[in-house]
Amino acid sequence: MIELNAVSGAFALLSSDINAWLYLLPGLVIGLVFGAMPGISITMAMAFALPATLYMDFLPAIIFLTAIYTGAGFGGSVPAVLMGIPGTSSAVATTFDGYPMARKGEHNQALGVALASSVFGCLVSYLLLFFLIAPVSSVVLKLGPLEMFAVAVWGMLLLGSLAGRHMSRGLLAGVFGVLLGTIGMNTAGFIRGTMGVPWLLDGIPQIPAMMGLLAASQLIGLINTTYLIEDEGSRKISFSKILSGLKTAFVYPTIILRGSVIGVVIGAIPGVGSSISNLLSYSETKRNAPDGDTFGQGNPKGVIAAESANSSSEGGAMATMLALGIPGGGATAILLAAFAMHNIVGGPSFIANNKDIVYALIFSNFAQAILLLFVGLGFVYVASYVVRVPLRFLIPSVLVVSTFGAYAIEGSASGPITLWIFSVLGWAMVRYGYPVAAAVVGLLLGSLLEGNLLRTNQISGGDFISYGLERPWALLIFALMIGSIIMQALSKRKKLKQAAENSESRSASEAS
Amino acid sequence: MSTKPGRRVVWGHLLLLTVIVGVVIAYLLDARGVSTRVNNLLLVQPAAILALILAALVLPGLFPQRGSAEEDELPKETPADLMRIFALIGALAFLAFSLETIGFDIATFIFMVVALAICGERRWWVNLLFSALFTVFLIYGYGTITPFPFPLTIL
Repeated sequence: MIELNAVSGAFALLSSDINAWLYLLPGLVIGLVFGAMPGISITMAMAFALPATLYMDFLPAIIFLTAIYTGAGFGGSVPAVLMGIPGTSSAVATTFDGYPMARKGEHNQALGVALASSVFGCLVSYLLLFFLIAPVSSVVLKLGPLEMFAVAVWGMLLLGSLAGRHMSRGLLAGVFGVLLGTIGMNTAGFIRGTMGVPWLLDGIPQIPAMMGLLAASQLIGLINTTYLIEDEGSRKISFSKILSGLKTAFVYPTIILRGSVIGVVIGAIPGVGSSISNLLSYSETKRNAPDGDTFGQGNPKGVIAAESANSSSEGGAMATMLALGIPGGGATAILLAAFAMHNIVGGPSFIANNKDIVYALIFSNFAQAILLLFVGLGFVYVASYVVRVPLRFLIPSVLVVSTFGAYAIEGSASGPITLWIFSVLGWAMVRYGYPVAAAVVGLLLGSLLEGNLLRTNQISGGDFISYGLERPWALLIFALMIGSIIMQALSKRKKLKQAAENSESRSASEAS
Repeated sequence: MSTKPGRRVVWGHLLLLTVIVGVVIAYLLDARGVSTRVNNLLLVQPAAILALILAALVLPGLFPQRGSAEEDELPKETPADLMRIFALIGALAFLAFSLETIGFDIATFIFMVVALAICGERRWWVNLLFSALFTVFLIYGYGTITPFPFPLTIL
């Protein structure tokens, strides 16, 4: 179950390279600060920091990014508790009970509960990853190009169909991303869609495009956002009360464990992730709790359920990304881009040949979770200032930093120009309900999909049907894919119908 | 006489869909122009056709019925809000296209002054001071983290 040679290799990697530890603290702090700023998501924080990893070694670069991931997970809960505004989409359910607790004067306890649940959830998710990664890697190695193609398409379809309200828009975003991802020279040597631009021969610059779609576009959309801040200035931070909050979290081990397991499972499914897992864990806990009717009025169990689930989603998403090389959402797409920046291809062969690096990442995340406990305690003291950073200063500053990053990565104006084009595209997509994460994942997977399809074509001699019939796993994945898409379509149709009925009854009551 | 409320056209969405469809068709034609061999079109052609089918499915959403749930979902910015967004997009375009020609320092300073004003900073001295300090801090700070030779004019 655990490969001891790889484990000792991981210890050797971590103990021989000071850089592996050097970026842990800055990563956590960046994540906490960005996560605590309302409107800045985990993905945005990671996208902005991505260019800075260009000159780092591979392991420190990934550790730095995962530290931001971990830090932003808890950072998002700070404004959720103090202001009732989720710092990130993963902290929506935290507001349900965290903010009422703060209004009752229990903000210290709420922050303590959130911190303990985040740390525990993160530890549980990486512990599961630690035990499962070896068996999973032996399974994924058996996947051929057709299976990999099927898995990648399934992941994309899930992402396109689950994210956003309209399935057709989600799928269009994903397919459009795939097409953009195939621009340039393919593995068979054909050059398409470059419009004579030399730097498009290698394809669209992925990192500036991702930064534009995931980060800059959201900042443009934030320009007209104002957050109403009530009387939070007078809230005093008390260390002892935060500690009592930390203890409170462990009074309910079942809730923490249930939240963590929900987080891992949901996090592993492409397209769902922490923004859904926190809501699902909250509603499950509310349904099972004997005092479920007090949820929403400042019950700490609600905060525990939400925070343990959103932080444990990280481990689940990492499992899918590491095992299959398929990002489940924006954050793991950025990690995969960081892999590519260091000329490393994620997926089955990476996990099989570099188990020591994978274990090193897992151990580093244990350390991150424990360090978060202390850094998070200190951060709470400055958090009330961070959540108030005016957006009018933040938006232009971060846009300039991302433009610099895009230039540094590409080494020419092609980076900033790509960033600009995709930030406008991303802004328009978000505005009209297209999930940009689907387009980003499509962009990243475009060449992988085409490569696997070309290999399948070569192996099968062009006879896909006979070849496919000999591959039961591929058939199973395709069957599951079709089944899940039909289920999603029916569920979305039902929801839209319900929304239309609600709207009609509302307008009828307004008319009367 | 029909009492059904009319439909409206979501022009912004129509423009976005036109751009997506335009890019897909142009790409498909370009790819077919390069070669019609299977190894060239194996993924691109079916994906492009699928994208066009999906775009056709999205099309009805561009003309929602007035008072419907779909119309409620539409963004509700005022024209002034939209103008601010377009102004910021324009300022970002200036930054992206002028960095190499006028230097990162000057382009950054001009962008910061304009973008801060667009984002609502009305005190001119705060704007100029913050923009100047931020430009200097970024040029030297970012240059330390990322040792890339950014073209500069003054700093």
